[in-house]
Amino acid sequence: MTNWMHHLLILPILIPLMVGAAMIPIDERNRMMKGVMGFVSTLALFVLSMVLMRIASVDGAAAGSGVYQLGNWPAPFGIVLVLDRLSALMLCLTSGLALAAQAYSIARWHTAGHHFHSLFQLLIAGLNGSFLTGDLFNLFVFFEMMLAASYGLLLHGSGPLRVKAGLHYVAINLAASSLFLIGVSLIYGATGTLNMADLSMKLATLSPDDRQMVEVGAGVLGVAFLVKAGMWPLSFWLPTAYSAATPPVAAVFAILTKVGIYVILRLSLLVFGASAGASAGFGQPILLAGGLLTIAFGAIGVLASQAMGRLAAYSVLVSSGTLLAAIGLGHPGMIAGALFYLVSSTLTIAAFFLLIELVERGRDAGADVLAVTMEAYGDADEDEEEEVVGAAIPGTMAILGLCFCLCALLLSGLPPLSGFVAKFAILGGLFGLSGTEAARAISTADWTYVTLLIISGLAAMIAMNRVGIRTFWASIENTVPRVVVIEITPVIVLLATCIFLSVQAGPAMRYMQATADSLFDPTSYTERVLMAPRAGG
Amino acid sequence: MLSVFILAPFAGSLLAIFFPPDQRGATAWFAGAIALLCFLVAAGLYPFVTSGGVLRYDLAWLPELGLNFTLRMDGFAWLFTVLVTAIGVLVVLYARYYMAAEDPVPRFLALFLAFMGSMLGVVLSGNLILLAVFWELTSIVSFLLIGYWHHNAHARDGARMALTMTGTGGLCMLVGLLLMGRIVGSYDLDVVLTSGDLIRNSPLYMPVLILILLGALTKSAQFPFHFWLPHAMSAPTPVSAYLHSATMVKAGVFLLARLWPVMAGTEAWFWTVGLAGLSTLLLGAYFAIFQQDLKGLLAYSTISHLGLITVLLSLGSPLAAVAAVFHIVNHATFKASLFMAAGIIDHETGTRDMRKLGGLIRYMPGTAVLAMVASAAMAGVPLLNGFISKEMFFAEAIETHQANILDTMTPYGATLAGMFAVTYSLRFIHSVFYGKAPEDLPKVPHEPPRWMRAPIEFLVLACLVVGIIPAITIGPFLHTAVVAILGASTPQYSLAVWHGWNLPLIMSFVALAGGVGLYFLMRNYLATSIEGPPIFRLLHGQRIFERVLVTLSWKWARSLEQRLGTRRLQPQMRFLVFIAIAAAALPLLLSHYEMPPLLVRSIDPAFALLWAVGIACAIGAALLAKFHRLAALVLLGGAGLTTCLTFVWLSAPDLAVTQLLVEIVTTVLILLGLRWLPKRIEDTQESELLSLQVRFRRLRDFLLAITAGGGVALIAYTMMTRPLPETIASYFLERAYKEGGGTNVVNVILVDFRGFDTLGEIGVLAIVALTVFALLLRFRPQADSLEAPEQQRVQNAFDDDHPDRNEGDSVAEYLFVPSVIMRWMFPVIGMLAAYLFLRGHDLPGGGFAAGIAMSIGFILQYMSGGTRWVEERLRIHPLRWMSIGLLVAAATGIGSWLFGYPFLTSHAQYATLPIVGKFPLASALFFDLGVFSLVLGATVLILIALAHQSIRAPRAHARAMRSGKEAS
Repeated sequence: MTNWMHHLLILPILIPLMVGAAMIPIDERNRMMKGVMGFVSTLALFVLSMVLMRIASVDGAAAGSGVYQLGNWPAPFGIVLVLDRLSALMLCLTSGLALAAQAYSIARWHTAGHHFHSLFQLLIAGLNGSFLTGDLFNLFVFFEMMLAASYGLLLHGSGPLRVKAGLHYVAINLAASSLFLIGVSLIYGATGTLNMADLSMKLATLSPDDRQMVEVGAGVLGVAFLVKAGMWPLSFWLPTAYSAATPPVAAVFAILTKVGIYVILRLSLLVFGASAGASAGFGQPILLAGGLLTIAFGAIGVLASQAMGRLAAYSVLVSSGTLLAAIGLGHPGMIAGALFYLVSSTLTIAAFFLLIELVERGRDAGADVLAVTMEAYGDADEDEEEEVVGAAIPGTMAILGLCFCLCALLLSGLPPLSGFVAKFAILGGLFGLSGTEAARAISTADWTYVTLLIISGLAAMIAMNRVGIRTFWASIENTVPRVVVIEITPVIVLLATCIFLSVQAGPAMRYMQATADSLFDPTSYTERVLMAPRAGG
Repeated sequence: MLSVFILAPFAGSLLAIFFPPDQRGATAWFAGAIALLCFLVAAGLYPFVTSGGVLRYDLAWLPELGLNFTLRMDGFAWLFTVLVTAIGVLVVLYARYYMAAEDPVPRFLALFLAFMGSMLGVVLSGNLILLAVFWELTSIVSFLLIGYWHHNAHARDGARMALTMTGTGGLCMLVGLLLMGRIVGSYDLDVVLTSGDLIRNSPLYMPVLILILLGALTKSAQFPFHFWLPHAMSAPTPVSAYLHSATMVKAGVFLLARLWPVMAGTEAWFWTVGLAGLSTLLLGAYFAIFQQDLKGLLAYSTISHLGLITVLLSLGSPLAAVAAVFHIVNHATFKASLFMAAGIIDHETGTRDMRKLGGLIRYMPGTAVLAMVASAAMAGVPLLNGFISKEMFFAEAIETHQANILDTMTPYGATLAGMFAVTYSLRFIHSVFYGKAPEDLPKVPHEPPRWMRAPIEFLVLACLVVGIIPAITIGPFLHTAVVAILGASTPQYSLAVWHGWNLPLIMSFVALAGGVGLYFLMRNYLATSIEGPPIFRLLHGQRIFERVLVTLSWKWARSLEQRLGTRRLQPQMRFLVFIAIAAAALPLLLSHYEMPPLLVRSIDPAFALLWAVGIACAIGAALLAKFHRLAALVLLGGAGLTTCLTFVWLSAPDLAVTQLLVEIVTTVLILLGLRWLPKRIEDTQESELLSLQVRFRRLRDFLLAITAGGGVALIAYTMMTRPLPETIASYFLERAYKEGGGTNVVNVILVDFRGFDTLGEIGVLAIVALTVFALLLRFRPQADSLEAPEQQRVQNAFDDDHPDRNEGDSVAEYLFVPSVIMRWMFPVIGMLAAYLFLRGHDLPGGGFAAGIAMSIGFILQYMSGGTRWVEERLRIHPLRWMSIGLLVAAATGIGSWLFGYPFLTSHAQYATLPIVGKFPLASALFFDLGVFSLVLGATVLILIALAHQSIRAPRAHARAMRSGKEAS
């Protein structure tokens, strides 16, 4: 196996790790150099993940391909990295987001503290590792890497607000990490393996006593992931932390919650799928109920937000809830749509986080409160003279406004953008068309889900509408923010990706469907991992 | 060919944005040309849609889910296309003169074209979901158009209300359409239109009906969703003329007509649609009478006419459907012209208030004549198009469709509404053009420019022609449209002015006479009354809407957010612990957990004592954590040592060594950090003030903690008393030496079997160190921890008291002997580290332990000599060490690529060094070297971050003192 192509699989972890390490001793005065190094690294990762996505979608099913045995130790003894459509998709999303956030940060935000770019690269390494690994303890390691880097990045820029939110975030996540460890050790103790594929094979044949312990472990483990995914009531830290983070950090944090979702999706279908015997479908009712509650809480939060940052942070919760509940419902037809939604909502929220700071730059924070009070107690200027000559909108504001409109459409799932396509794909998958096998009776849970999905979209529409009107149409002060091209470009690129996804919804959904199909067929995954040949053997 | 209708307007819209803002004329020409192009194409396509022909255009979008970009033009869609494009051309021409020269017209026209494209999309969609897409697009673009003059609060509010109402309706409709697709098995309109029985008999018919009606009724401003339309009148008049009379509001009735073949005819349809339509018809007409704003009157009249169309569609009879389609066209022509006329009046006089206007026929006779003809059509005066469709409506209202009270009421309601229509039409004309000349108008009125009036002239001409010779003019087109809806069940009907003396004609006369009479009765009241009908005006639709919206979406949401969420850390932690307990307990409870028997055998008293001490330390640490940080830390160290000794006891020397070293370093680092924590807040009288609530909270937390700790112990006990399953550990034991080249299995696992984990963990350590460093660089201590520690102050005071001593001497001499020893320890510790490092692969030790041990050497130097002293003598570059460590470790892994093996594959052999002798040299050793370097670097970096505080602190202290003095 002297095939160099084979080593591509580990590069998404190695490149950012090494680039991040190499940047550590460079003096902070050479920030620009660090920025360029980081950008080049992320760009390389982006290209790489595209290549990997191609590989995964072409010969994903062949035995031994897409499995990388670290140290040349076979599974389940050594650690393996596994590439499949889902992990390739997540890699792609990560590097795309990171690219945008990094470009944005170069304009000014990376000067707000030290070692921004190193931490950023290490965060990507942690994320990529979490997506690629096929080993439960290795997942813990990369989770820690990602979390540790996220602590640093959240604290980047300092200031009392950020430090307070950051320390809360650290405390909660440390507690969650200990739960992670407890869970992993219980699972290891009961099954004697850490490899996910092996675990999936063993679960069906376990004795009831051992199965009990696995379930306890999985439950505790699940809590750790749900904290990360932001399920209500484990999500209170999230709005404060995300809205306090610097914009590029918040943008890339949009994918952190999706790591929790990713792991839950992966494990619940791989380990607790149909082949898990008595444990099949473990935890699904909890995911469903929690997901629904999270959507509701997120939607309420979206409506109740005064500042755009909190609005965006609560949108993260809505997105998480939508995905969790979709996994909880577990209709195969919905998962493809949910994956599409995952991509679209992550890109949107990231773009929105980047945009918020540009829009609010130079605005007085008190203006928002005033505007809301005015709305609540009647407009003061009800009898003002009607002016029938339109006011020209300055160029910068026009571009920002357009981006804002796109974000609003995407967040509230209004046509014709990918937010709508995603919602349609989920709902279409849920209802199904008669004559196809997907059409089942519609349960109460389904109805609740549909209702909440629509209401959350509505809440986003109302909130974005309110915020947009007072920012772009009824701004009290007429300051036009100074925006550099390199700051607005990432926003535009992210939104353009969403537009591209809407236009190319067909091919994109085919990929998602293939991904979902392979997730519901765990045997191909386990066979691939456990049958992979060793090098030189 | 059909794609032109979508492509041209949207492409035009994109281009129009780039016109310079002052190019009113050029942009108008451009937009007009596009609208005209669409119109001409539509006209050219007519032969293809006659007698039931259907044009289709298909483009795959999401074929797997049944969503395609399918455009479909039949006779009905064709009629709407012509309506939308033709009126579009006229409105562009009108807008060219209506909009002020300073207005940024390109933006307006870009939105206008986008709206036209969306509307054409609604009309031409051949796929239910695509229809929903364009439907929402019309809502969104109309929001931007209504809010075009966004500096006016009314425009903003109106825009928001319109979007909220129609957007909400649209979302409901989407669900309805999805359900309909589920019933039918396809979203394709051609399939749907042939599946009427399937839909009507489906158990899901009711939800589908309600959801789709929510969409259609909000869009067409039907009662009780009507109130957004009058407020949308804050839009520029061309927008009102186009969106709120001719096109967008027609989308609702368009959808009802489109789905009429598959949904109408049931009792549920009759009741819901009919009730909404009839109440809208009456209320709209009634409200219109009392408006003082010209556009408000027209808006309510539009609502009423839309109600009329809805009633016709509710009846479920083919003839009524014909009348509905016909009235859609008629209403569009006369209402668009009336809006334009109102716009001219507003434009030329500066007001739209009917109380201020009057006698304008003297100033603008041309406009007056046009407005009179158009409003006569609105009132249903014979020889105009409105009359014919209204006659058809009356005729249908009389017919009995279903034997119930609503059907019986319809003719009376229809006549009454007809009467109101006459009244408000008359009022529109009489109060504006007759009576005494207006006083103190903002402008002196005069006729508008020639071409501003042209669109009205054209439309009024159409009203007349259709009204006099309907069969020749509109007849064939109407027939084409009706056939497209009704297909084989198309009824026989005749379009003519004269049908003989029959009941509908009598109803018309009653309405005319009654309406005129009513107007003259109310005239004096209306001339001075305030806006809105009596009593109803108290129910301010907009206010209610705003209040409800604010209450729901703001006040309730905020209080709910506060109730359901928290920003404090403690409750979150409580939730986390509670849920973790539940997550662990649930599977146990569900599968009947049985506790393993508690076995007590061969407990060594020494070991038990050790653990008793350890437990006491842990509890003590928790107890003291809040008030005595130092004591808590020391006790924590005690608990750590117990763990360490336990490892030794249970023969895990590697763990013991690592635990010991880590324990030392962390304790020292935290000790250094304690210096900068804020001082304890003195809480003197806490015991008396403990309320019941606090006691309860503490008890709950206590129980929670006990449960969590006990639970973990229980699970651990259960786990450890079980027989060991077949684990991967045996594999490691077998191969550690054979394939890993080391006899210390723990170390081989760390650097070889699971070396990748180690690489990740040292990465984590690097990140943590960087984070601490970056955070502390910006850290500024609290004012109360700035001054020198108490001990130093005492020592300095002692120096002050003794004339032979300089200040600082005692501080320097304090612990003088230990510090010399500590300095001398440096090389010894270095040797120990090297020893630990080299033996690592075979015996307890390794890179991690060595790194930590080495860092202890540095910590001792800093403690004994102080930061400045150390850094003057040693080159400390922790950042570099960390970087090199990570890179070396990673590069070692990459090295195996050269031999064709995956990352981190190790190779082992023995090497010989003089003096030391033979020692194992695995490639893993280089990896371990990386680990060593990184651990050392990271620990020292954290140390430096803390140590440098003391250099910075005196400066900060001085600054604080200075500013304190200035303030006082």
